[in-house]
Amino acid sequence: MNSLPALVAVQIVAIAEEVFAAMVDGEPGHLVPWAEGPVTFADPVHAWVEMNVELGGRVLLTTDAGTADDLARALLGMDAGEPVSEADLVDAFGEVANVVGGNLKALLPVQGKLTIPAVSRKSPSAAGAVPIDEVALAWRGRPLVISVWMIEKEG
Amino acid sequence: MRALVVDDSRTMRRIVVRILGQLGYETSEAGNGREALDLLEAGEVYDLACIDWNMPVMDGLELVVAVRERLDWRALTLMMVTTESEHGQIVRALAAGAHEYMIKPFTPDAIRDKLELLGLIPIEENA
Repeated sequence: MNSLPALVAVQIVAIAEEVFAAMVDGEPGHLVPWAEGPVTFADPVHAWVEMNVELGGRVLLTTDAGTADDLARALLGMDAGEPVSEADLVDAFGEVANVVGGNLKALLPVQGKLTIPAVSRKSPSAAGAVPIDEVALAWRGRPLVISVWMIEKEG
Repeated sequence: MRALVVDDSRTMRRIVVRILGQLGYETSEAGNGREALDLLEAGEVYDLACIDWNMPVMDGLELVVAVRERLDWRALTLMMVTTESEHGQIVRALAAGAHEYMIKPFTPDAIRDKLELLGLIPIEENA
């Protein structure tokens, strides 16, 4: 039995909108459902946290590197075009994944811990990962995908 | 008033520091509970500590317990600022000695409201 499938797209969208409005943009309306067909990323960056509940789960955010840079600038109060260090990118995008993941975990009927967030140009291991749901969003017009995975652990 | 912001995320520390600064606080930062304890043990005095839960080295709950073991730090108000939003986690933190609990994401107004309840808005801000 795994309660992760109970997380549905509408909940993912609602939480993501709340996180971006409060933390990133200071007001609602800048993160909206993507409405321009299939999403592709030329230079993807991934941020994720894993949830140690029952069989395990993962909340994964993917966007383009340029969008992730702008996300970091918004979170860190940096000027447009100001260089974003790799450390700032990892910390800022990881924290967004952490807050989105933490709030999704809170919707589950069981308790568990979140891992420290990870950020990488490479997508996380697909071994044992089963997709539960995925939403495509547009942050300031640029795509950002949030997906929830069930992770079947060995042993 | 002085506040210590304890979070392993520099991004989150910067957000909280910015909000507290706008409220008139002088702030310091620590990247985990151990760093926070080091500052306190070195004699730094704060009115408020904003503490994340999930951190490497020493997590926020361990920090709350360690602070509450010291009678000379009784005046320090502890506010958890975390994504841990399950009722059981909130109860654990409050039982360990945290005074307030703020769930991420939060707005500047939400922080201000919590501090107002705690009587921790600096005088200049109230004036």
